[in-house]
Amino acid sequence: MNPPPDKHTLEQAGASDESIRQVHTQLAHEKPEQAGGGYAAYPLVLLGLMCSSIFFGSIYLAHYSSHFDPLIYNENAKPVAGGPAVPVVTPAMLGKRVYTNICMTCHQQNGQGQAGVYPPLAGSEWAQGSEERIIRIVLHGLSGPITVEGKEFNNAMTPLGTVLKDEQIANVLSFVRQEWGNTAPEVKAETVARIRAETASRTQPWTAAELEKLGK
Amino acid sequence: MKNGLTLFLGVFATLALSWAGVLLTAQRQFGGLAQYKDPADESLNPAALSGIADQGRMVYQDLGCVSCHTQQVRREGFGADIGRGWGTRQSVARDYLREKTVLIGQARLGPDLRNAAARPYADAEYFYNLLYAPQSVAPGTNMPSYDFLFDVRPASDQPSPHALRLTGRFAPAPGTQIVPSRRADELVAYLLSLKDTYDYPEARPFVEPKQKEGGH
Amino acid sequence: MNSPDNNRLEQQEIDASAKWPVLTFLGSALCWLVLGGALQLGAALQLHTPAFLGGCEWFTYGRLAPAAQNALVYGWGMNAAFGFGLWLMARLSASALRHGGWLFVAAQFWNLGITLGVLGILTGASTSFELLELPRFVTVLLLVAYALIGLWAVSTFCLRNTEHVYVSQWYLFGAAFWFPWLYTVAQVMLFQAPVRGALQPLVNAWYVNGLYGLWFVPVALAAAYYFLPKILGRPLNYFYLPAAGFWCLVVATAFSGGSRLIGGPVPSWVATLGTVANFVAVPAVVMISMTLFGTLAGRYAALKESITLRFVFLGLLGFVAASLLNFALSLRSVAVLLQFTLVGELRDWLLFYGCFSTMMFGAAYFIVPRLTGRAWRSGALVRAHCGATALGLVVLTVTLLAAGWQQGKLLNDPAVPFADLTKAMLPWFTARSVALMLLAVGHLAFFVNFCWSVCPFGSAAEAPAEFHLPPAMSLPAKEGHA
Repeated sequence: MNPPPDKHTLEQAGASDESIRQVHTQLAHEKPEQAGGGYAAYPLVLLGLMCSSIFFGSIYLAHYSSHFDPLIYNENAKPVAGGPAVPVVTPAMLGKRVYTNICMTCHQQNGQGQAGVYPPLAGSEWAQGSEERIIRIVLHGLSGPITVEGKEFNNAMTPLGTVLKDEQIANVLSFVRQEWGNTAPEVKAETVARIRAETASRTQPWTAAELEKLGK
Repeated sequence: MKNGLTLFLGVFATLALSWAGVLLTAQRQFGGLAQYKDPADESLNPAALSGIADQGRMVYQDLGCVSCHTQQVRREGFGADIGRGWGTRQSVARDYLREKTVLIGQARLGPDLRNAAARPYADAEYFYNLLYAPQSVAPGTNMPSYDFLFDVRPASDQPSPHALRLTGRFAPAPGTQIVPSRRADELVAYLLSLKDTYDYPEARPFVEPKQKEGGH
Repeated sequence: MNSPDNNRLEQQEIDASAKWPVLTFLGSALCWLVLGGALQLGAALQLHTPAFLGGCEWFTYGRLAPAAQNALVYGWGMNAAFGFGLWLMARLSASALRHGGWLFVAAQFWNLGITLGVLGILTGASTSFELLELPRFVTVLLLVAYALIGLWAVSTFCLRNTEHVYVSQWYLFGAAFWFPWLYTVAQVMLFQAPVRGALQPLVNAWYVNGLYGLWFVPVALAAAYYFLPKILGRPLNYFYLPAAGFWCLVVATAFSGGSRLIGGPVPSWVATLGTVANFVAVPAVVMISMTLFGTLAGRYAALKESITLRFVFLGLLGFVAASLLNFALSLRSVAVLLQFTLVGELRDWLLFYGCFSTMMFGAAYFIVPRLTGRAWRSGALVRAHCGATALGLVVLTVTLLAAGWQQGKLLNDPAVPFADLTKAMLPWFTARSVALMLLAVGHLAFFVNFCWSVCPFGSAAEAPAEFHLPPAMSLPAKEGHA
C-alpha cells in the first residue's frame, strides 16, 4: 500500500543519451543559415562583442601594462627611456636611517633631546654651526658642560668614529642640519675624512671649551 | 570537435600558455630579484629575518593569521592603507625576500600587519597583551584570544620578569601569573620584525610627468 | 536511433558498472559537505561571537576557517566532481567503467588524504596558502588518488563507443587534465622548489583561479550542458555556440589569475593581464548563457516538475552572477573598494557554491536513483534542500554584497578607527551566519535523504524506481522552422 509517488523523488529523462549525441552531431554538420529561424543574425552580434572585448582588452593592456616592466607597480607609470627612473637620493634621506638607528634614542625623533639630559638638535646653534666642531663630536664624543640654545647640559656623548663610516657621518649630519627647520648646508664625506685624518691620534672625548676655540 | 587529438592539444596548449605566459615570465622577470645594496652604507636590504623571528613566521602560518590579516600596503591614492598608518609607502616584491613563505593575504577582517612593528604604540608588551587578551589593548575587536600561547604559573615561585602586566578585568587570578610560552615569544619576535622601513627606488610613488618637468 | 537495446545499455550496464565507485564518491562527498558546512558555520559564528569555542587552539578562527574551506572544496567539491564526472563520462562515451575496484581504492586514498589534511590544519600543520593549506604530507596521497581517477576518466573517454564527442565531454576532459597540472605546478613552485618573494602569492593566485575556473566551473557547465537537453528532451539552442564559448572561456580563465593581486606587491602588468583576460571572458559568458538559457526558454514550467532542472537553473544564475562579479572585481576602480572585503569571498563562493555545488546537487538527484534502482525516499526533504539552498544563497549574496560594500567604504576612510569598522560589521556577520545556517539545514536534509535512500533496508527497498523509456530527441528543424 504505497502512497502516490512524489514526482520529485524520481527524475525522468526526456531523451536518451544516444539521441542527444546523434541530434547534436547532425546539428553540428549543418550551417547556421540552413537551420533558419533567424539564427544567422546571432553570430554577427557575438562576433562584434568578441572583437570589441579583444579591442578594449588590447587598449587596456597597452595603457596599463607599463611595458611589462618588472619594477613598475603603478599602472599609470610609463618606463623612462634607459631603464626605470631612479629617484634622486639625497644624503639627508640616507642620513635619516642612521639617525633612526643610533641618535634617536637620546636626541629623540623630533630632535628636541630631553630637557636637562640630552641637548636638542632642532634649532641648535651647534648643529647648524661649524662642521669642524660637530664632525669632531660625532667622531670622538663629547663630555662635560655645554650650553645649547641657552640651556646648560652636563653629560657624555658616545664616540661613533669606529661605528660609522665617513659617508654615514656626513649623511647623518646633513640630515640633522636640514631637518626640523634647520637650514645649514650639507656635510661632505671628504670633510669628514680630512678631519678624521687630522685627529687620528685623539683618544679622549672633546670638551665644549676645546671645540669653541675652533670657531662657530 | 570529433577529433580527440585536437581537443587534447587545445586543452594542453591553453594551460601551457598560461603557465609560461604568467608564471614563467614572472619568474624570469623578478624571480631573481636580489637584496638592494645601499650605496651609502653598503647594507643589504631587506635584511634577513632573525632566527627567532623566522620561527615566529611559522607560528603565524600555523595559526592561520592570514585568514584575517593582509600583509601588503597599497600605494598612496589607491585605498587608505597609507592614510591608516599601515605603512609609509607601497609594498613591493623586494620587501618579501626576507620571508621564506610569503602570506600577503586576501581578507582584511583585521588591520594590515606589514608594518605592524612600525606603529608608535607597538612594542613587545603590546603584542603580548594583544595575543593574550585582545580586548585589553584593542577594545571592540573581534580577534580571538590566543591565551593558549601563555602559561599560567603560580605567582609564589620565582616571579618571571616576562610575566604580563595586566590590570582590571584582564588581570590574572590572584596568586598566579601569565608567562608567554616559547611560541608566543617567537610570534612576537616575528611581529616585531614586520617593518618595511627601507626605501627602494621602485617603491617611490610615481609622480605625474607634468609635475616633474620642472626638475628635468 | 533509439533502440530499446541501447536504452538498456544506458540504464543497466553503464549504471551498474558505475554504481559502487560513484556512490562511494557521492557518499563521501556528502559527509564532507555536512562536516564542512558545520565547520564553516562555526567559523562564521566566531566572527560575531569571538568567545565561541574560544581558548581552544584547534578551533581558533585562523584554523577553523581554512579547515572548513578545504573540507568543502576538496572533501565535498572534488569528491562530487569525481563521482559525477566519471558517471557522465561513462554515459556519454557509452562505455562502462571498467575495473571499478581501483576507483574504490582511489576514493579511499583521496578521503584519507583529506581527513589527515583537515586534521593537520586544525592541529597546526597548515601552509596558510589559500586552498593549498593542506599539509605537505598529504600531497602524495592526493596525487596518487587523482592519478587513478583521472586515468579512469580519460581512458573511458578514449574507449568511447560513439562517434561524436558531446560538449559536456570537452569540459570534463579538459578539467581532468587541468586539475593535476595546476595542483602539481602549485606544489612544486611553492613547496618542492619554492619560488621567492612576491612570486609565491602569484603562484597561489594562479592556482586558486585555475581551480575554480578550470576545474569546478567546467564540471558544473558539463552538468548544465547535459541535463538541460536530457531532461527537457530538446536540443541545445544555438548549437554552433558551445565550441566558441568553450575555447573563449578556458583561454580567458587560464590567464585571469593575476587580477586577484590588484594593488599588490607585483608589477602592474600582472594584474593588468588578468583584467584583460576577464574582458575576453565576457563574450564567453554571453555565449554560454545564450546557449543554456536559450535551451530552457519557453519551458520554464519544467522547473516545477524537475528538481534537477531547478538546481541547474540556480547554478546557471550562480555562474552568471559569479562571472559578473569576477569581471567587476578585476577592474581597478572597483577593486580599490572591494578587494579585501567580504565581496572577494563572495566571488569565490558564488563560483564554488552558487554555480558548482548547486549543479552537483541537481546531478545527484538525477543519478542516485539510477544507480540504486530506488527512488529518493522523501520528496519533502528534496524540496527542503532546494528551498534552503536557494534562500540561503540569496541571503548570503545580498548580505556579503552589502557588507563588503560598507566594509570597503569604511576601510578606505582613514578617519574611521578599526574598532568602529568591526562594530559596523557585526550585524552583517550575524546575517551571514543565518544564511550559512540555512545552507547547513539543506545539507542535512540532503544527507539524511541520501542515507535513507541508499540504505538497502526498510521501506526504501520496497520503492523501486520505475523509469520511463527515454524517448528519442527530435531535430529542431522538425519543430517548425520550415
